[in-house]
Amino acid sequence: MIVAFFFLTGMTLVSALGVVISRNVVHSALFMSGSFLGIAGFYVMLNAPALAAFQVLIYVGAVTVLMLFGIMFTQRPQARRYRTIINRQFWAGLLVATGVGLFLAYVLSAEDWVGAEAGNGPRQVAALGRDLLGVSSGAEIFTLLFEVASVLLLVAIVGAIVISHRKAGEGLDTGVEE
Amino acid sequence: MPLQVQQLIDALTATPPLEGYLVVGALMFAIGVWGVLIRRNAVVVFMCVELMINAVNLTLVAFADYLPNAGGLGVSYAVLVIAIAAAEVAVGLAIVLAVFRTRRTVNVDEITSMRG
Repeated sequence: MIVAFFFLTGMTLVSALGVVISRNVVHSALFMSGSFLGIAGFYVMLNAPALAAFQVLIYVGAVTVLMLFGIMFTQRPQARRYRTIINRQFWAGLLVATGVGLFLAYVLSAEDWVGAEAGNGPRQVAALGRDLLGVSSGAEIFTLLFEVASVLLLVAIVGAIVISHRKAGEGLDTGVEE
Repeated sequence: MPLQVQQLIDALTATPPLEGYLVVGALMFAIGVWGVLIRRNAVVVFMCVELMINAVNLTLVAFADYLPNAGGLGVSYAVLVIAIAAAEVAVGLAIVLAVFRTRRTVNVDEITSMRG
């Protein structure tokens, strides 16, 4: 278990750093999917195999493809120099991020988690489903949250179509100007 | 000799502590913050926001598995967070495409028309 933990830690954090400092935007997207795969491995270790499946399907599959889609629409080819992709706050940003990371890590590990022990999660997919639908005791709020999430997804679909819809006579390849 | 081998096997198969997962989540969140602060490309900024969301999800699931009073509900919250993050990516990329169509750039340093 501890071997798998360190392997997944290295994979996740190195891929996350790759997203930030890679010069090629497509490489950033692929590093991002590697980082998400590492997180899916953590979910398997944490007794949530159904959530790991969701992670692989939604993040490694759908979100990465969506990002590549966005890159293909908006990008010029690879940047030659770091100055073109990174603004002047490189070291200040590193300082802030290090401070945030150290502060969070310190707070989270200084706390005494009473009775923390592995194996309390809903190992069975049926238990996760009952939690998510608000059937099991203590999870009644999820009945509401589930409905709100479905309405939100519908609104997001409609909103995305409306925002990115190209009106007649406007846009790039109408050949009017440029 | 078998004692040491047994100890080595025990050390390799030990369950990692809760703090391990929390620290990994904190470091991943910090890397996402760094990317949001320094990158100029709006699409890469979105990727770093996704990294932060995943770090928080990892923390939620770790708490759900380790804390006995959590009832395993963190996993359900993580499912909801994934759904909301997917909606955010769809709307965000639509906005990026709309901005690119009118401004011909996705560089967040050049999109300053909302500056007061």
